[in-house]
Amino acid sequence: MKSVFMAAVGAFAAFAASAEPITIVDQRDRTVTLDGEAERVVTIPIPAASMFIAVDGGTDRLVGMHQLSKTAIKGRILQRFYPDALAIPSNITGKGFSFVPNVEELLALEPDLVFQWGHLNDDIIDPLVNAGLNVALIKIGTEEFTRKWLTIMGAVTGKSEKAQAMIDWRDAVMAEVRAATADIADDERPRTLYFMNYLSKLRVAGGRSYNNFYIDLAGGKNVAAELGMFAEVGVEQIIAWDPEVILLNGFEAKLSPQDVYDNELLADVSAVKNRRVYKMPLGGYRWDPPNQESPLTWLWLSMILHPDKFDWGMSERIDRNYQFIYGQGVTAEDIQNILRFDMNADAANYDIFNDG
Amino acid sequence: MSLANEATARVTRRLPGLWTILFVALGLTILVSLGIGRFGVPVDHVAGILAAQILPIEPFWKPVEERVVELIRMPRIIIAGLAGAGLAVAGSALQGVFRNPLVGPQIIGVSSGAAFGGAFAILVSESQILLIGAAFGFGMLAMVVVYTISRQQGRASILMLVLAGIVTSAFFSALVSVTKFVADPDDKLPAIVFWLMGSFASASYEKVWLIGIPVVIGSILVYLMRFQINVLSLGDEEAQSLGLKVERTRWIVLIAVALISAAVVAAAGIVGWVGLVIPHFARMLTGPDHKVLIPAAALIGAIYLIHVDNVARASIAAEIPVGIITALLGAPVFAYLLRRAANKGWSSE
Repeated sequence: MKSVFMAAVGAFAAFAASAEPITIVDQRDRTVTLDGEAERVVTIPIPAASMFIAVDGGTDRLVGMHQLSKTAIKGRILQRFYPDALAIPSNITGKGFSFVPNVEELLALEPDLVFQWGHLNDDIIDPLVNAGLNVALIKIGTEEFTRKWLTIMGAVTGKSEKAQAMIDWRDAVMAEVRAATADIADDERPRTLYFMNYLSKLRVAGGRSYNNFYIDLAGGKNVAAELGMFAEVGVEQIIAWDPEVILLNGFEAKLSPQDVYDNELLADVSAVKNRRVYKMPLGGYRWDPPNQESPLTWLWLSMILHPDKFDWGMSERIDRNYQFIYGQGVTAEDIQNILRFDMNADAANYDIFNDG
Repeated sequence: MSLANEATARVTRRLPGLWTILFVALGLTILVSLGIGRFGVPVDHVAGILAAQILPIEPFWKPVEERVVELIRMPRIIIAGLAGAGLAVAGSALQGVFRNPLVGPQIIGVSSGAAFGGAFAILVSESQILLIGAAFGFGMLAMVVVYTISRQQGRASILMLVLAGIVTSAFFSALVSVTKFVADPDDKLPAIVFWLMGSFASASYEKVWLIGIPVVIGSILVYLMRFQINVLSLGDEEAQSLGLKVERTRWIVLIAVALISAAVVAAAGIVGWVGLVIPHFARMLTGPDHKVLIPAAALIGAIYLIHVDNVARASIAAEIPVGIITALLGAPVFAYLLRRAANKGWSSE
């Protein structure tokens, strides 16, 4: 019901002239009222920056982002699409995975709206609110949450139609993939494991993670489903689970499947023996957490898990949807970069993506 | 003195039994631990894999089982045992030379000093040798600082020692935070955070050597000093009148303790409470003579930490940090021991 309401609000906002006040309800059920369309926006949650750029269709109205948002842009395809993005300040938080705002830096940017995480603690929110800023709180976890980000971003930019189209695309692809994978019996679903960290420690995605949702959707089963969001495990536990497919996160830039193949402790794991260890792609954003390109993640993963069953024509899909999301197409070389052929080329079955 | 002698004599008569029990317990602990884990390996397969090391046995187990037992469990158990033994020896020695039941490697500042040294080494290089070297150097420095602050008119009171330890630990913890603050968040920061949290999860035979050599050298050094520690534990003036070079003895023991603590911190991060609790426990069994106390504490420490690590690695699918369990067990047990042994084995100043 709420999403219907949100969509209605969004549609109204798009219809109204930009001088009309815009009211949104954020994911902590707070009501935020803007005088008009947001013209100077700051995003603190890491995936929010590229999603905002995608919804708004440019970088003109994004005046600040998280440092780790920028590392996903720099040197990757979004830098070519939006070269100005690199000039946007990214010194508004502490270092690393810190979401503590530097309020004075933020005030200097004169934002009329700040996106911030709503599921962490209020200490990262209160300083913003007390400084008189408009703050929209968003949460991570389910696909439903991610859609609300799009709705809110569409409403505040007057781009609700685009946001709705991006949600419709998610719906369509989800229905498409679900229809294809729903009948796959449990014993035909490859045992799959996602490493949130590998280099410094072994941390895997459990049953409440977004990763669990799309592993299931794409026709696999998460071997770590018994755990919560993300948890550290020992090598022996991984051998006991014996995953058939291993997915490596996009955050650890240097991490490559070769690191897993070279680990003699994991030599008996099926995914290693059959060379089915894959680095998660990185397009307009990292494909592992929820983002504006998530449907491509689902399609890609279903082909990884069932190379004999599915062929969605990834190259064509990526090109078509990049036109839709960013208004720009991609070359065959771009696709190889996005799908991380630099690390995945030797993995089992990866030539199915060589359809350019 | 006659009372103490009588107590020692009574303990000495019990000793052969005590050693047998401790060694058998350690052996059983290792065997049982090799059979515990998230990956099921039948007990007879574990026995077969072990026996095959010296006997020509046709493998009736799967290669993966051999790998799990030999490459994953064995080094982890050895490291946990070495760390437990080392921390217990270090704690016994410190409590002896400072005549103070509240002293352990963590309280005297050496752990936080070593933690900063290690974090700093990770920041500036990737060398394991530098890591352990810096951990040792700064662990030693922290201890020197604590020792210097706490000495007034040539003697260190218990209160001053503990307070100086708190001050120094706080300072080095702040330095660790500085290291984390300036570290590259994509690269160095996760490595530092992981290292500081402490876990035996990344055990390997390489690490066995890394921790084993310093712990063994440090422990032997402490054991060689056992008589001097005994004399020191009578008090500085008594020791001096018996012809002991008090300062020199104390320094040798401190260097050995810093070496052990740095190696343990380098391999497993800060594992608290073991060096504080185990020596107390051992002292209740053996009495205050360091000749028997030190080896007994080493064996008990090894047994204890191997079991703690079994819980950490095998109870649930996720790894539990070892430091959490040692603190949960250690704090209440220490409080209990403190009450019970309040006036036994230690003269109140």
